[in-house]
Amino acid sequence: MGVLRYVAKRLGLYLAVLFIGLTITFMLPRLMPTNPVDGYIGQLQSRANGTLTSEAIAEMRTNLEQLYGLNGNIFSQYASYMKRVLIDFDFGPSFTYYPQPVSAMILNALPWTLGLLLTATFIAWVLGNMVGLVAGYFHKQRAASILEFLGILLYPIPYYILAVTVLLLLAYVFPIFPLSPTFPVGQLTPEKIGMILYNSLLPGITLVLAGFGWNILSMKALAVATTEEPYVVYARLKGASNWTRMMSYVFRNALLPQVTALALSLGMVFNGALLTEMIFSYPGIGLIMRTAATGGDYNVLYGAITLSIIAVATAGLVIDLIYPLLDPRIRHK
Amino acid sequence: MIRLNDLKISYRIANRTIDAVDGVSLTIPDGCIVGIAGESGSGKSTLMKAIYGDIQAPMHISRGSIDYDFQGADGRPVTTQTIRRQWFKSISYIPQSSMNSLNPVIRIGRQFTDFPGTDSNKKRVLEQARTYLGKLGLPPEVMESYPHQLSGGMRQRVMIGLATFFQPDLIIADEPTTALDVVVQKEILMLLMELQEEMGNTILVVSHDMGVHYQVTHKMLIMYAGRVVEYGDTESVFGDPQHPYTKMLIDSLPTIGDDSMRGVIASAAGAGGDRAFRAEPVLVEVKPNHFVARAPQPDNVLA
Repeated sequence: MGVLRYVAKRLGLYLAVLFIGLTITFMLPRLMPTNPVDGYIGQLQSRANGTLTSEAIAEMRTNLEQLYGLNGNIFSQYASYMKRVLIDFDFGPSFTYYPQPVSAMILNALPWTLGLLLTATFIAWVLGNMVGLVAGYFHKQRAASILEFLGILLYPIPYYILAVTVLLLLAYVFPIFPLSPTFPVGQLTPEKIGMILYNSLLPGITLVLAGFGWNILSMKALAVATTEEPYVVYARLKGASNWTRMMSYVFRNALLPQVTALALSLGMVFNGALLTEMIFSYPGIGLIMRTAATGGDYNVLYGAITLSIIAVATAGLVIDLIYPLLDPRIRHK
Repeated sequence: MIRLNDLKISYRIANRTIDAVDGVSLTIPDGCIVGIAGESGSGKSTLMKAIYGDIQAPMHISRGSIDYDFQGADGRPVTTQTIRRQWFKSISYIPQSSMNSLNPVIRIGRQFTDFPGTDSNKKRVLEQARTYLGKLGLPPEVMESYPHQLSGGMRQRVMIGLATFFQPDLIIADEPTTALDVVVQKEILMLLMELQEEMGNTILVVSHDMGVHYQVTHKMLIMYAGRVVEYGDTESVFGDPQHPYTKMLIDSLPTIGDDSMRGVIASAAGAGGDRAFRAEPVLVEVKPNHFVARAPQPDNVLA
């Protein structure tokens, strides 16, 4: 009963966040003084040297408004927008690649982005936490500061510098990886999967390196503070082994804030996608967003923004749902 | 029996050396509860740490030694170097902060088995621990509970359970009741006394509360500025305190209706702060089993 109520409450909150986010994305562009249909018709008119008749223009306007969901007053537009986004997952056609639907473009790119970024973020989190835990638990020993140094070294490097350096080093100076990746299309075979993994390794490495440093520093600080807790001191006086104290005492307690950080960074993968995919010409959402931003492809941007709202909100929901499993103190409340 | 031979314990901090315990020689007999009193900074905790064998830099024994007369698993007598292996086997510890000495994210049951202990069969330990906690007045569900689901008194009972479950020869209790209210405090102390009577082991109780000492202990050890100023049977120490510092401690126990100490500040009463009292390194036996720190003055030892 308690569990069901908890889950229902979190789900309700999740839907509320989605609703507010989608409403804001609907409202913002409509606050602009320009009308995209007018702009488009103006473009066509000038391209046709003003030879379009007013009937043709009126017909075109109705068609375009129909196509982009701009007919009717703002309330009916809002209702149809919500219906299209939430139920049909339809963002209309792309402007640049007309008449390809935006949802199809996003769905094609999504597995690439999620596959690369979720994996890399997760690996960076696991490795960073392990290194940070050892560095924090043994902080009184000098050797442990070498591990912390790794974090201090990696953390402040801006991602684009790190990525370009790694690219130059591992694809140009030592050509271990391809400079510009090639990804096979069509049915997946074991051979093609291997090729995809090989080509994704380089962006993956840079992402892991970039996320690694922060995780080390954060976990180290948490672990140092936790080793001073009375229950860790008591465990030592009980004669519990270093391993037990490090894992089930320090790690299990220092883990809680780190899980929050992981879930939030998983929600932010689309931010990371932009730079990575540009630098490594990786065919994900980030590349699509960039093309859309430079080409003024509103519908695609809409789609991508909506997707990141869903991603962040979902990440929040996931934290809320797994947190009680890790921390008994917030169960059934 | 535990014998301290001219024990001096120091902390080395930067270039300075601070002697927290400075030349303590005494014998603690088996099977009694010894109360240790004295103000903060008098060396109580340092002495307890040394007896427990929890000696970590910057703390170190700079002179003297501690003799324990019990044997380890290998049959050899336990020393300061090997006592760690006896932790929660023949010597155990009840911490001050029962409120947060239990791991908040792990069930109580698992905290009975996550250290070597005396029995490697975890299932058997869990069963025995469940029965044992029942004997201490805790419901069996406690084993499946998390610390935050228990009250302060229950948690302290769990801590006492953890410390006595393995029938140790020596238990060190560092202010075991400070965080508890008076009613629970009394229950916990009674429990500790009952267990001691049953098992016949030695318990060292550190406390600031002279009332607690009077109720619970068989022997009293009064410390001041790193030295023992008085050590003897509780009856005798309370009935006929010899050292002025002991007298002041006992006088500090409030009596209903007695207003003489109202508004008196301790430092004004002692006059002179840190070293207001002289604590000589030599203990003189003034009565059977009652020792006082005094400069050796051959002509009036018993004066």
